[in-house]
Amino acid sequence: MNIIKKYLSKKRWVAIVFATFFLGVILTFVSPVFLKFNNLQSVLVQASVTGIVAVGMTFIILTGGIDISLGAILFFTSALFAKIIVGTGSYIFAFVAAIGSACLLGLLNGFLVNKFKMSPLITTLATYTMYRGMAIHLTSAQNVPVPREFGFIGNGKIAGIPVPIILLFIVFGIGIYLLTKTRFGLYVRAIGNSSQSAIESNLPVKKVTLMVYLIGGFTSAIAALILLARVGGLQSGIGIGVEFTVIAAVVLGGTKLSGGAGTVVGSVIGAIFLVLIDNGLNLMNASPYIYDIVRGAVLLTAVIIDRVSIVRQTKHLLEQKAMRIESSKNI
Amino acid sequence: MIKNGSMAKNSLNVIRNYPAIPIILSLLLAFSLLSPFFLTGINMESMMAANAVILIAAIGQTFVLLTGGIDLSVSTVISASAVLSGVVMASTQSVFLGVITAISVGILFGLFNGVLIGHFGLTPFITTMGTQLIARGIAFVVSQGIAVKGTPDAIVFFGFSSFLGIPYITLVSLGILIICSILLTQTTWGRKIILLGSNRKSADFVGINTKKIEMSVYLLSGFLAGIAGIISVANLGNAIPGVGDTILLIIIGGVVLGGTSMNGGEGSVQRTILGVGILAILTNGLNLIGIPFYDQLIIQGILIFIGNGLAMKISSKSSLAM
Repeated sequence: MNIIKKYLSKKRWVAIVFATFFLGVILTFVSPVFLKFNNLQSVLVQASVTGIVAVGMTFIILTGGIDISLGAILFFTSALFAKIIVGTGSYIFAFVAAIGSACLLGLLNGFLVNKFKMSPLITTLATYTMYRGMAIHLTSAQNVPVPREFGFIGNGKIAGIPVPIILLFIVFGIGIYLLTKTRFGLYVRAIGNSSQSAIESNLPVKKVTLMVYLIGGFTSAIAALILLARVGGLQSGIGIGVEFTVIAAVVLGGTKLSGGAGTVVGSVIGAIFLVLIDNGLNLMNASPYIYDIVRGAVLLTAVIIDRVSIVRQTKHLLEQKAMRIESSKNI
Repeated sequence: MIKNGSMAKNSLNVIRNYPAIPIILSLLLAFSLLSPFFLTGINMESMMAANAVILIAAIGQTFVLLTGGIDLSVSTVISASAVLSGVVMASTQSVFLGVITAISVGILFGLFNGVLIGHFGLTPFITTMGTQLIARGIAFVVSQGIAVKGTPDAIVFFGFSSFLGIPYITLVSLGILIICSILLTQTTWGRKIILLGSNRKSADFVGINTKKIEMSVYLLSGFLAGIAGIISVANLGNAIPGVGDTILLIIIGGVVLGGTSMNGGEGSVQRTILGVGILAILTNGLNLIGIPFYDQLIIQGILIFIGNGLAMKISSKSSLAM
């Protein structure tokens, strides 16, 4: 029991793995359809959009920042892509423009956060409003259908595996690599732990900040392409509320909002967990309006459990410290 | 000469305290030149009525931001209290019961947030995100996603009437503004909020019950969201479950634009009405001169950014001067 506890406190993402597994077991009993291969596959496909953006958001939150504008970047990218593909028919041009502009918008977020030292929340709130306006301006508030063959990115398969799942795993892999195997990943955590000491030890804080917001923009672009392909065209509702679902996934995955501690694995599993909840409610034929209540309750439960475990850990540490002091006194 | 100098200093101080004033004056001037309809009584009246709900919620949000927290749930608590009071009013036709319901719903959500954040020390952002979802769910489950019909005539009449060109619902929001301003500046409770926001450790150190203070601001925010809920019923004529979905960013944007800092400790309720006023004038004026809503969003975003930047610059200068 103690070993499990120790492991849980060290690897915060393990909790969400257990929770997801547990939810899976419950759903298996609730509905015989759940464990069917097709259902599991569709769960992963549905989780791909949230999961991909969650990878980018993890980097941002790890530095102690936050990006409310990712949903708007996603919307802008979809709008730009749809507009170009309908206008010129050139896929290469559309891909380059969409992904490039998403990176630029992310970069702009990072630049503004760096330059003006305002809270990232309010900075990205302002850019959220701007980007959304720019996107609707681009399409004059109209729906833009995309060519049918583009649906491949959302619904197609390569070697029997749906494309969104492949993309999810690619982004996931790159995210893990960047965070755990590179100096950049180390800096990201260091800045989140204490930006003051990161500056004092001459880490490239500004560069890393630019980079994490750029990654956020990039992942939003990939998610945008999947979503656009799955929906079959640009609609005004695309991307609304995505940022909050993504933040929920990241937090459920054990990443601290204050930065410093967290993993890409946890965030992606957090995204899958959220889809499982929707999937379960769907299998139980629940009213669509109940979804929000369940999601909110799950999120609150997660933060409460997290808080309780932190309080217990610090208490335990303090007790140990006190005992050590006691024993040293006795000697 | 001396008098002139002190006057210049005074006006500089006013701008320092209210960085939104220059923006609001230039907007008023620009729109009254651009559209002859802008300064008419009818237009002003409709503009004020349309922003009463936002102002009330923004006042509550100001208190929360002053402690360095954030309340993302206000918007959908407005929806939940509007819908629940709408249902109660539809079945009893009693406005009194409707108001009581709306306020109790607001207080319950505020208390819930307050206990979790203040007492148990949860992160405000995530906690209120959770209650935001729950409140939204309740609003939509109870109403089944459509406007609640059967609102008593009295409250609809209240929503459409005005006194000397000022809508009743705006008068309600101004009354709340005055009370909250007094609470914030003239009571020890208000001073404790500011101290908590500017330096939590020293607030703890001088023996302030920070848990209680933090709890109280979320309670106030919830309470005001409840009032905003019933006001939205009066304003729109029906309880609409989606009423809060789109106004969260305007509420927070308005508070910040007025010059209240997101980091706590710096700001006032008077600044908030100016910030909300800027966004209201901007939306109204740009609509009048025929700018489509999506271009308004771009302008809004830039303005929120500039306003906040200005406020930060001015406040950092004034603290240096001290």
